[in-house]
Amino acid sequence: MDTSQRELSDRRVPDEPELDLYTIPSHSSWFSWDEIHETEKSALKEFFDGSSISRTPRIYKEYRDFIINKYREEPSSRLTFTEIRKSLVGDVNLLHKVFIFLETWGLINFAATSDGNDSEEVVDGDSPTIKIEEGVPNGIRVGAMPNSVKPISAPPVVEDSSIVNGSGFKSPPLTSYSDVFTDLLKLKILVCGNCGQSCGSRYHQCAKDGYLSCENCFNDKNFGEQRLLEDFESKTKEFIEDSVDTGAVWTEAETLLLLESFLKHGDDWELVAQNVKTKTKLDCILKLVELPFGDFVLRSEPQRNEASGLNNNVTSEKESRLSPSNNQEIAGSEDQDINEDKDEENQGPPKRQCTASVPDTSSSLMKQVALISSMVGPHIMAAAATASVTALCDENLYPKEVFDDQDFFVSNGLCSAASTESNHEVERILDNDDSVPKEERPQPGDIMVEDKDDIPLILRIRAATATALGAAAAHAKLLADQEEREIEYLLAIMIETQMKKMQRKIKHFEDLEEIMEAEYPVIEEVEDKLLMERVSVLQSAFDLGISRWKDYPSVRS
Amino acid sequence: MKSSASANSKSPFKFRIPTAENLVPIRLDIEIDGQRFKDAFTWNPTDPDSEVVVFAKRTVKDLKLPPAFITQIAQSIQSQLTEFRSFEGQDMYTGEKIITIKLDLRVNNTLIRDQFLWDLNNYESDPEEFSRTFCKDLGIEDPEVGPAIAVAIREQLYEIAVQNVVSARESRLSKKGRRGFEHVSASKTGGASVDLMKLFGHRSSAVRKRKDWDIYEPIVDLLSNEEVDALEAKEERAAR
Repeated sequence: MDTSQRELSDRRVPDEPELDLYTIPSHSSWFSWDEIHETEKSALKEFFDGSSISRTPRIYKEYRDFIINKYREEPSSRLTFTEIRKSLVGDVNLLHKVFIFLETWGLINFAATSDGNDSEEVVDGDSPTIKIEEGVPNGIRVGAMPNSVKPISAPPVVEDSSIVNGSGFKSPPLTSYSDVFTDLLKLKILVCGNCGQSCGSRYHQCAKDGYLSCENCFNDKNFGEQRLLEDFESKTKEFIEDSVDTGAVWTEAETLLLLESFLKHGDDWELVAQNVKTKTKLDCILKLVELPFGDFVLRSEPQRNEASGLNNNVTSEKESRLSPSNNQEIAGSEDQDINEDKDEENQGPPKRQCTASVPDTSSSLMKQVALISSMVGPHIMAAAATASVTALCDENLYPKEVFDDQDFFVSNGLCSAASTESNHEVERILDNDDSVPKEERPQPGDIMVEDKDDIPLILRIRAATATALGAAAAHAKLLADQEEREIEYLLAIMIETQMKKMQRKIKHFEDLEEIMEAEYPVIEEVEDKLLMERVSVLQSAFDLGISRWKDYPSVRS
Repeated sequence: MKSSASANSKSPFKFRIPTAENLVPIRLDIEIDGQRFKDAFTWNPTDPDSEVVVFAKRTVKDLKLPPAFITQIAQSIQSQLTEFRSFEGQDMYTGEKIITIKLDLRVNNTLIRDQFLWDLNNYESDPEEFSRTFCKDLGIEDPEVGPAIAVAIREQLYEIAVQNVVSARESRLSKKGRRGFEHVSASKTGGASVDLMKLFGHRSSAVRKRKDWDIYEPIVDLLSNEEVDALEAKEERAAR
């Protein structure tokens, strides 16, 4: 199978509503579900010369469609002729010819990993692979590292074995189609729906229909009228790639280099990345966060120089991810009076992605709270926040004073709709420039935090925790209620069905009774008639004077 | 070959094995002084007959059989070839005919049961290719299985071809006498053939009903040596 000839063409299978992607070779692009191509006609003449009722175009199409569909049920495994011939009516030799034809053109078994012979090889070559998986052998280093001793984080086992084997294309015996090809597909499919060119590292995806738009087209707003700007979610490809490929493995030397340059240059990630050389900016940040003390470093750093340099950097890094919302925010602040309300409403809480870049101890907690809040909606969140604040106030006198100051916020901003909330937020953002635009979030705990920096940290955390728990509880309650209703409904259906059954039975019995009653007089009548007959027979017997007649029964018995 | 096959299915063909290669299935079962030799293979009837003796000598030498086997083997092959040639040149009535071929055979430790449809008019059919695919798809490693399946298919085709010759002769006779007999004789011989209208008519689908899949699915069993011994003993008893 020549992988270089592979072309990805998406075909819509008529039976299936969603778009399925299958790999077929480019030289087979003539294939279509709806018609029979000249190639097929010339290769399988017997179906088209009308020589037999058992060989017609219709039957050929049925054969073909069945075989291809059968293969596509499981594209990673090889379809064999013996498998399909049991399901198709017809001469096995003819079927074999069709099968070979489809296979030669790559319409089946194209993506299958190996055929029968190869699978044996894989099994044979298995044992060394297993040995390798137990640990990296001495002297074998994975990846090209400048002056490393060994990788800090152990690379994924699969990757390891494939590198060691030197056969990048051979997949381990237990892989599915998606394991092998998802990355390939992701990298290749990303074609802009507008200009038709492949998207660069960044692209925007419409959340509704998966419509892709490249950076240029997106900026020019060339993505069709029916798609709203808000539906787009932008993605960075390098994000995925880097973390998978080079980003996964960090050597000690590299880590050391990273730390040194970080201490020297602070949060100027460009410089840091330049120093580390082998890693990208993003990798450096990710690695630093991953390190056990990374959180602390990242936290303390910006607090020290108080500037929002890090935030800006991070923001620019993640900008690609967030760009729609950012764009909107910028737009919103420019002509805030008219648009901001609408904009904010449009991107209601559930759509909001939480990306807290708040240089704050509670940032990760905030993330979770925001996440939970996005699940339940602003009203419930607000109620939960109020409740938690009240509870905290009951507990202690001090918080009461603290929260009393901003009581109007809790009562106004939280209990009212999300739009008003965001109104306040935007105003605040415009007021103090140093706060990052992204901090605005329709999330009560956050608002309090943003607004009142003098509230002690612990108190803030507690408030946030309580809010989160309250919100989660509310959500759980909702779910439970729903479940209960479901159960009740099902129970009602069950009872109803049982009732119906009983009624049917009763009706049946009534019918039977009726029949019996109808039968009864008939039988009685017959009995009477028989009696009468008997009497008359006896009478006539007596009349004839056969005296010994009576004795017969006794003699017989 | 193909053009003649698709030209006109109604015209009678000269007798041959209805496959791409006209190979005759030969089965040998010879017993001399308690030594038994069983084998099955195909023979090209156009080969010169001198080959038969050469083949017999070679076989006996390779298998280290007593020399008495040479003549027996040669004779057996020769007689089977002669029988085949006696049909050659005769008309073979085929018409539209698709038959069901059933396999039920044991080769060494492998037990095979299968059934499938075979078009007698498809002169491109290749039992050897079919059995090769069969063994590959089902992962049968015993190299003797493939040829055995091919020979089994050829034997059935051979038998039906002979039947066809007979029915062609009868229909020719009946045409002289009374008309209308032809249809009866044609359908009489086609005992194993399937109803084409029923299978390929407009109403039926070429995809088999799911409940029939099991029937047309090959079954392959690997027997243990003890089971083989028991089976052989049973066959032996049945033969007596």
